[in-house]
Amino acid sequence: MELSLNSMKNIESNYLQPTETPINQPPTEHIENATTILGIQHPSTIKTIRLEHSLDEKTVVAVDVSSIRIGETETGELCAIRGAIAWREKNRYKYQRMGPFPFHITEQNKKEIYKLFRNHSFETSEAPSITNIQARIGNLLERWLQLGISCSAYDTIILWDGSMTAGMADSPVDEMSRLLEIARNRLSVVLAFSKNTTLRFSGHKLTDYAKKAEPPCLLQINGFPLFSGPVLLLGEVYVAKLTPGVCSFRLDIDRKVPRERGIEAVQSLLGSDLLVQSYPETLRLAHIFSTFTATEVIGIQRFIAHQYGLKIVTRPNVRRLLFGPFGKGAEG
Amino acid sequence: MRLYKKEGNSLQILSSPEDDMEKGDYLLVEDTNLNRKLITQVIDVQFASVPGLLEELLRDSTTEEQVYGENFDPLGVSSHINHIQDSRMLICKIRGTIVNDKLHANSSWLPCRSKSGITKISFNSLLEHVGGNNGLPINVGETKDGSPLNITAHDLDGRLNIITGKKGTGKSHLSKLLVLGLVDYGATVVVLDLNGEYAGLGFSANGGGNQYSGRVHVLTPGANFRVSLSQTWLNVMLKIMIHALGLPGTSTREFKHIWKSLSQQGRFTLQDLGEAIRRCSCNMHVRDALFSRYHSLANSGFFTDNEESAADFGKLFEKTKKDGGALVINLKDISSVDRQIVLEYTLGNLVNLLNQWKIKSVFLFAEEAHLYLRETYWEDIVTRMRHFGLFTNFVTNQPDTIKENIYRQADSIFLFNFTNERDLETVSKAARVDSETVKSIAQELPPHHCLLIGRAVKDFPVMVKVRALDIKTMGQTRLFFTNHLCDVQELQKTS
Repeated sequence: MELSLNSMKNIESNYLQPTETPINQPPTEHIENATTILGIQHPSTIKTIRLEHSLDEKTVVAVDVSSIRIGETETGELCAIRGAIAWREKNRYKYQRMGPFPFHITEQNKKEIYKLFRNHSFETSEAPSITNIQARIGNLLERWLQLGISCSAYDTIILWDGSMTAGMADSPVDEMSRLLEIARNRLSVVLAFSKNTTLRFSGHKLTDYAKKAEPPCLLQINGFPLFSGPVLLLGEVYVAKLTPGVCSFRLDIDRKVPRERGIEAVQSLLGSDLLVQSYPETLRLAHIFSTFTATEVIGIQRFIAHQYGLKIVTRPNVRRLLFGPFGKGAEG
Repeated sequence: MRLYKKEGNSLQILSSPEDDMEKGDYLLVEDTNLNRKLITQVIDVQFASVPGLLEELLRDSTTEEQVYGENFDPLGVSSHINHIQDSRMLICKIRGTIVNDKLHANSSWLPCRSKSGITKISFNSLLEHVGGNNGLPINVGETKDGSPLNITAHDLDGRLNIITGKKGTGKSHLSKLLVLGLVDYGATVVVLDLNGEYAGLGFSANGGGNQYSGRVHVLTPGANFRVSLSQTWLNVMLKIMIHALGLPGTSTREFKHIWKSLSQQGRFTLQDLGEAIRRCSCNMHVRDALFSRYHSLANSGFFTDNEESAADFGKLFEKTKKDGGALVINLKDISSVDRQIVLEYTLGNLVNLLNQWKIKSVFLFAEEAHLYLRETYWEDIVTRMRHFGLFTNFVTNQPDTIKENIYRQADSIFLFNFTNERDLETVSKAARVDSETVKSIAQELPPHHCLLIGRAVKDFPVMVKVRALDIKTMGQTRLFFTNHLCDVQELQKTS
């Protein structure tokens, strides 16, 4: 919050050029739930693990964070970040939203933000561009919320959005390992669901193997390398098909949790949360509550313009000027 | 407020909740570069179509029903988001253009979208801009901003006006207000009072006399309003026989002969007329037809042979000549046939008096006229009688009983609430306003509020809360439960 306020305080601009949002199409969150491409060099087997609904009902907690580009000023970029924690306890869903926090990222205050990353053991060897910082700040908030949950939850199923791949700029190995360790010590199990995976097995997308599987089940993929260069898999990789339907997801379960406990945790999830298209409702709610709608983007633009005395101006869209109706494609 | 769209004579203006705009408000869209101002009126207030709103609402509805949560928003951004959600789109109609402080009907120009200033303008300021009412003001009530609204008696003079709205919205009250307003300026007013509502015009609410006591004359047919045959013109009597009593053509000719021969003898009575019909050497069927009509006349109680108690219609108007006044024809509690007789007599005599310049002009207020005025009178009143000085004000809760051509010729319409689409459709045929305005505003008018349309408000429709009058309320519906409730309360007290 402080970083947000400090970054916004230093706006030296007279105008705000809002992001062009397509009409009737909500802007999407920018954080990529990055799943690193890891080659399966020595694939061996895919093993199906049948699951049963566990009667041992547990608290389920999920975290998600969204960031969005709000516009630009004369000196930098404006973005906003919001995090959401959703949990299900005694058949009741609750949530806590944090934000939105607007940020003004300039070449000048980039260093201050790096400093913050460094304090949290984030990779800072190469300076990311202003546009990448938006996603970085989002991920930083996400890790911070995950840490908070790991520290406070006990004997709980913790759901992450994404994978347990560590060693990248946004997921330092030490930091990620610490998050998992704290959760383990408090008898909680972290389950990370990836909506998209680039992992392939014999040329096919990993999740395609679950098409014919009888739900609820997990497909265990054996033969993944634990690490590839700096990238390290902190979780056992499964494909989860938890309910009938077309969807299945890559599921990472903390590798240091005994295999049986990990599977028990998934069975507890079946008994403790509502699952639609194999996706836990708690995680879906966390996503919904963190995501920015187009109305909110306009509201944040208004807030910034109002609070910091910026005039909203719309610059002509070069693509549209040049290409007319053919200039609708992706920018840049 | 920002200009968003213009289509034909409609304008869409984006507005925020703080602007506090409501239906009926006037806005001035000023383009300083062109030195022109567009006068527009808000006819509907809608939520602005903001992208992503549906997602927002879906998320909120989930929250309300099944999910409980908190928002940690230390910077207070959510208030701005709520503000966007509550943005309004004002649907406006263009009423004219002001160029160099002069009103023009032209609405074909486009004000600058980014630089035009949009300001709310009170109705009275608007009237000042366009050259407001001059002289003989009648205070109707107050506009939404609380400022008094005056129309001028000139705008009722020589005009055709319609007061319409559903039951219990305040039509008769406004009608009374206009009657007294005209009387204030010395006008002669005739009220066809179907329910005996206007009998209290000369009394204040506490029952004592008021300033109109000597100028409101209630005429009750069969009581203080009886006429003699010898005072009745033949043309008036023929109208009664044909239109009120349905006498066929052949019998009418015979009646005319009888009437003329009696007239030549001088004064004659009802008895003389009856005797003449009996002695008439005409076809038996004709005689029977004449006899049955004769009995209707005699039984109506409206005609008398006593010349002293008979009212001289011309002299009745003498009373109103000096200071003005209202002749209230109380049609309450009389049969429909008798009512027709009285009305044919009254209107026939009025036209004769106007024709002969015995009276200058008369303002006629007709409550639920479809119940007693025959079809042919409509056109006659609107076209011919108007030129003789009979200026009609129709008061009705059934707008479809008035013909479309009358709406088209109406100079002003005082429109109270209607919820029925068909009723609004009928009224919207009036030539002086667009149907969208009528339909949109009239449906939401609260009781005692009306939408003034037409000449009386210089063709700028305006909502007005009709002011109260210190007069005795008459013609209230008798209720069972009013007394019953008092009894119950009394019982509860004693127990």
